Amino acid sequence: MKIKYTITGLDCPNCAAKLAGQMSNINGIESAKINFLTEKLTVETELDEQQAYKLLSAAATAFEKGIKIEK
Amino acid sequence: MTKLLHFLKSDLARIILALIFFISALILEQTVSKVGALAMYIVALLLSGGRVFVDAVRGILRRDLLDEKFLMSIASVGAMIVGEWREGVAVMLFFLVGETFEHYAVRRSRASIRSLMDICPDEACVVVDGVEQTVDAEDVEVDSVIVIRPGERVPIDSVVISGNADVDTSSMTGESLPVSVSPGSELFSGYIVMNGMLKARTVRLSDESAAARILSLVENANESKSKEESFITSFSKYYTPAVVIIALLVAILPPVFGLKNLEDSVYTALTFLVISCPCALVISVPMAFFGGIGGAASRGILFKGGNVFSKVATVESVAFDKTGTITNGKFEISRVICYGISEVELLSLAASAEQASNHPVAECLRSASNDILPITSASEIAGRGVVAKFDDCECAVGNLSLMHELSVNMNGLNIPDGSVYVAKDGVLVGAVVISDSVKSEAAGSVDSLRRLGVKRTCILSGDREDNVKRVSAAVNIDEIGFQLTPEEKYNKLEEIVLSSKSTMYVGDGINDSPSLARADVGVAMGGVGQDSAIEAADVVIMTDSLSKLPEMILIARKTINISWQNIIFALGVKGLILILGLLGFANMWLAVFADVGVAVLAILNSMRALIAPKNKIT
Repeated sequence: MKIKYTITGLDCPNCAAKLAGQMSNINGIESAKINFLTEKLTVETELDEQQAYKLLSAAATAFEKGIKIEK
Repeated sequence: MTKLLHFLKSDLARIILALIFFISALILEQTVSKVGALAMYIVALLLSGGRVFVDAVRGILRRDLLDEKFLMSIASVGAMIVGEWREGVAVMLFFLVGETFEHYAVRRSRASIRSLMDICPDEACVVVDGVEQTVDAEDVEVDSVIVIRPGERVPIDSVVISGNADVDTSSMTGESLPVSVSPGSELFSGYIVMNGMLKARTVRLSDESAAARILSLVENANESKSKEESFITSFSKYYTPAVVIIALLVAILPPVFGLKNLEDSVYTALTFLVISCPCALVISVPMAFFGGIGGAASRGILFKGGNVFSKVATVESVAFDKTGTITNGKFEISRVICYGISEVELLSLAASAEQASNHPVAECLRSASNDILPITSASEIAGRGVVAKFDDCECAVGNLSLMHELSVNMNGLNIPDGSVYVAKDGVLVGAVVISDSVKSEAAGSVDSLRRLGVKRTCILSGDREDNVKRVSAAVNIDEIGFQLTPEEKYNKLEEIVLSSKSTMYVGDGINDSPSLARADVGVAMGGVGQDSAIEAADVVIMTDSLSKLPEMILIARKTINISWQNIIFALGVKGLILILGLLGFANMWLAVFADVGVAVLAILNSMRALIAPKNKIT
């Protein structure tokens, strides 16, 4: 399943790439892409929406203070 | 009160407060008390660097030691410990200033993209069982009936079922003249209805409508990185670890061999670390491309990725589709031939006979005469023309087969193929040569392309030789290919692609998606056109204007230049200061400049990419 989120609070394209890399390593998340310019996070996952959101936003907050994910 | 709180949380407030404490500390240090100064420095440090420290700790927790924030924290805390308070605070303060600039630049770029995206309403007014309801556009199913009122934007691609109106299509097509729509006309999402109320039946989901497709195009841009971007990413992978190792050696080796005391060598190593921070590079190059994509988007040119820029910048050959690309795809009278009657009479006769027809040629003939005579009857013969009866005569207007059918005598007349013949009571009285008109800006744009270094231009068309020749002569294009099937078009294009450095193909996407994909740069004109064209193209031009081509090249060149300026400037300054630092000549101040100063300058430089270059072609 493909889910799109809006992701805000990222500082630079480099951090965006790093965070996306970490998200791709989460169990159950097949791929995660962040477009820094348009603040869009696109994930390919087998998890249900709630679970995916939980894991992704946990990864985001652990990465840096102030990063928010919204559907 | 909340406003004040909000302000206090902002970067600007933190910069100002930290700066006040920093300056007071400077004064205190010189005059009154050293301890007081230290306290002030620490406050300034926490104000400016608090968040950086927190993030650095998070970085350590996730074992990302080469994070720029980690480097900055180490350098700043290290400098405080070895007693260089001023430098320690300055590092953080300048880092914060640099970041603030960064964020500003990024916001600008995003805002410019967003303003382009704000072209489609989120809600639609749907008619269910005769009652109008406002619902989310996303929830509207195909084949629903929607109402669009004057001043509103079309929310979903649809077909008009009742009502007449003029619509402004400029945000989708760049065409400034309004278009009249009536039942049966197609509406794309993003069009603005100027007058009149329309009822329309939706033909797509909101996600698949024209505006949404354009948005997703911009959103997915930049996933393909430019050569310059990839260079920087791979460069920083080796660069940072290398510098950290050197810094460690610089800190440890001299004291071991008794060349320097530990304090001095640690200071040199810290200086080295600050200089080494790759952020100026890592941010400024993608920023230049963001800027380029944003700036171009605001001019109606959508680049589908950073990697397209260098190919556009070095374009050597340009191949064009003809109909709808170089020509308007609309008919216009290029010549009138008369036998025994005046041109005015002939045009009046033709226009009058065609008054009931809605064929594009009829429209063109009608617009050529103001003198429409009443007809008693008219019959349209599909694929041939019209036979109309007037009070005093009968008139046939149509192609050669119509004339043959009516056994009109055509002997000894030299009339170009494809003309519209006019016969009065069975006798030929003239012919009107109708052709597709060349876009007014076409010749100028081709000329500009040439002055920008394009060496080879070519029209690849499926049309007849004389038509293609006429168009190529009008816009001064070197080569022509005529009566080509889509496959022959592709082969001819391939031959050009193989023989030049970078080849651009410009088409409207009708039957030429393979060519768009084959060229180094496929340019699809008239953004909302065909799905497959948008898919296959590298650049989508939202308007129908060829003048966007030279503009596109200028934007690409400017963006590439800026990214290389940034790379060379940042690497040059850093390299120089690194060497000075190793030799012990650079202090922390210089190091801070080498890092944030360079980053800010590089970002400011990148922001120039947002501003489209002036149309100055030499």
